[in-house]
Amino acid sequence: MSRSLRGFAVSAGAFVALLGVGAAFAFGVASPFWLDLVFWVVFWAALAQAWNIVGGYVGQLSLGHTAFFGIGAYTSTLADLHWDLTPWLGSLLGAALAAAVGLVVAVVCLRLRGPFFALATLALAELLLITAIQWRDLTEGAEGLTLPFSPGLGNLMFETKTGFCLYALGLFALVSAVAIAIEHTRIGLLLHAIRNDEDGARSVGVRVLRWKVAAAAVSAGLTALCGTLYAQYLQVIEPSTVFNWEISVQLALLAIIGGRGTWTGAIVGSLFLTPLAIGLRAWLGSSHAGLHLVVYGPVLILSVLFIPEGIMPWVATRWHTARARRQAVTGAHA
Amino acid sequence: MIILQAVVSGLLLGGVYALVSVGLTLIFGVLRIANFAHGEFLMAGMFLAWVLHEQAGIDPYLGCFIVGPVLFAAGLIIERLLIRPVIKASHMTQIFVTVGLAVFLQNGALMIWGADYHSVVLSYADTVWFVGPVVLSLPRVVAFAVAMALCLALLAFLRWTYWGKAVRATAEDREIARVMGIETEQIYAFTFATGAALAGIAGALLLPIYAVSPSVGVQFVLVAFIVAVLGGLGSALGAIIAGLAIGVVEVLSGFLIAPGLQQAVYFVVFLLVLIIRPAGLFGRRGAEELVVT
Repeated sequence: MSRSLRGFAVSAGAFVALLGVGAAFAFGVASPFWLDLVFWVVFWAALAQAWNIVGGYVGQLSLGHTAFFGIGAYTSTLADLHWDLTPWLGSLLGAALAAAVGLVVAVVCLRLRGPFFALATLALAELLLITAIQWRDLTEGAEGLTLPFSPGLGNLMFETKTGFCLYALGLFALVSAVAIAIEHTRIGLLLHAIRNDEDGARSVGVRVLRWKVAAAAVSAGLTALCGTLYAQYLQVIEPSTVFNWEISVQLALLAIIGGRGTWTGAIVGSLFLTPLAIGLRAWLGSSHAGLHLVVYGPVLILSVLFIPEGIMPWVATRWHTARARRQAVTGAHA
Repeated sequence: MIILQAVVSGLLLGGVYALVSVGLTLIFGVLRIANFAHGEFLMAGMFLAWVLHEQAGIDPYLGCFIVGPVLFAAGLIIERLLIRPVIKASHMTQIFVTVGLAVFLQNGALMIWGADYHSVVLSYADTVWFVGPVVLSLPRVVAFAVAMALCLALLAFLRWTYWGKAVRATAEDREIARVMGIETEQIYAFTFATGAALAGIAGALLLPIYAVSPSVGVQFVLVAFIVAVLGGLGSALGAIIAGLAIGVVEVLSGFLIAPGLQQAVYFVVFLLVLIIRPAGLFGRRGAEELVVT
């Protein structure tokens, strides 16, 4: 088997095994508390993975992914309430809308080098927050929207948390499949080239802007799908919860700490940090609002200072060095 | 006449935007770092002035003389611990160090003072003057006057003093500046600390006008970045003029379109600048290109 094919087989195998473990948890765990935890771990992993496509593989930093998240949540919810449209289609509508918005912002900003994409996405998120609060006729303003609880597969709403866990796993599988496909095809190499040396990539004929914009649009669309998942799970959305700066930071944080530009990074990031956040929040209660983020800030700073490439690439480098050394030693004896 | 009032109110507001943005743009020009924690420096200045007023009865305007030096010192420490290690790192690392700092400071404030809005009660806060058809409120006039005085002092400093020239030289080309015997590391520290101090003073000046809460920085950092981009990243004069312009645009659009939609107008301005002239009003063409050496 060729090297790249073996790499793909390993990735695919690990991925399927991971989904199996996730499904086993969803069916095997009875306690609602633990199911809730499983849900949020998978949910954040899917979101971080979606961010990873533009932030990790292409290295274009978005600080406003909550904009696309909110577009997804609001589009599917409004379509459901006003047109009785099933969230299956509503979420696709939201994804298309978010991808279009992401495309426009990317076309304008990614021509330029510098912090413009980060700034524009941040500004976009603020703009949509204000719009969602002000446009009362459509969004009910700051009070938000409530979805009636009517379980059923067609409604993407479930009696039990197990159902929602499987929904989250399915979405996570979709986003990760995109990431794995990128990593193991020519596209991954192209994006990697753009990230490492844009001018070099352009000089050998890579259409840099086109790939950057495509990555931003795909990332925005997948993020919007996660927004629908959030709306379906909680059945209540408010401007301040779906257009929330904390979401933008959290996404990037998980992907960066886990290892941006690797499909395993987002998962590792979520496995470590989501339980930490939920645990801190549950343990400290509302009396210490914001404490989990006080912990997060330094974690973020320390991780980019000391392992800027993230946990997974850091581990992988150590692993490959150790193996190369072992092989060198055995080779010398043979 | 209401238009005249709006323009005057906008200029008064814009003066403070100019003071916040001029530090941000200098930090960007000299250190080549987009400081996402800049709004939190303003928030810290506001909270410090508020605490000084509540605990020690110190007037916010007098408090500027404490807030400025404290933020300057904090800026020096932060530069040494967090910024200097990443001065040659990738954008991603740089931005996330400042984002991490912003998250930490914002939620640290949330933990200490809670999410509530706090404001100060001052005897002169409601004083107004009628100048012809225009109404001027005292705290806004003071904030504008002090902000403008500081901005002009900064411009003069950059133009005519040895240190000012060293700052400009470092912004122009850090390698050559080093070869010419400028201690660029000191310039980085000095510039970052000055930016922090100016943002802090702007916070103290705003306290008689706005209520303070941990999230106040996020609102201002966005405006400050838009002002800095409009003025041309790295250009101090550009930031001052763009600050005044954005202030007028904000108040006018509040009057003419709808209050509460100012942010929408910022965003449109921002996108238009990026489409038409990314170097901004006073930036050099190509200055927006960040080439990390």
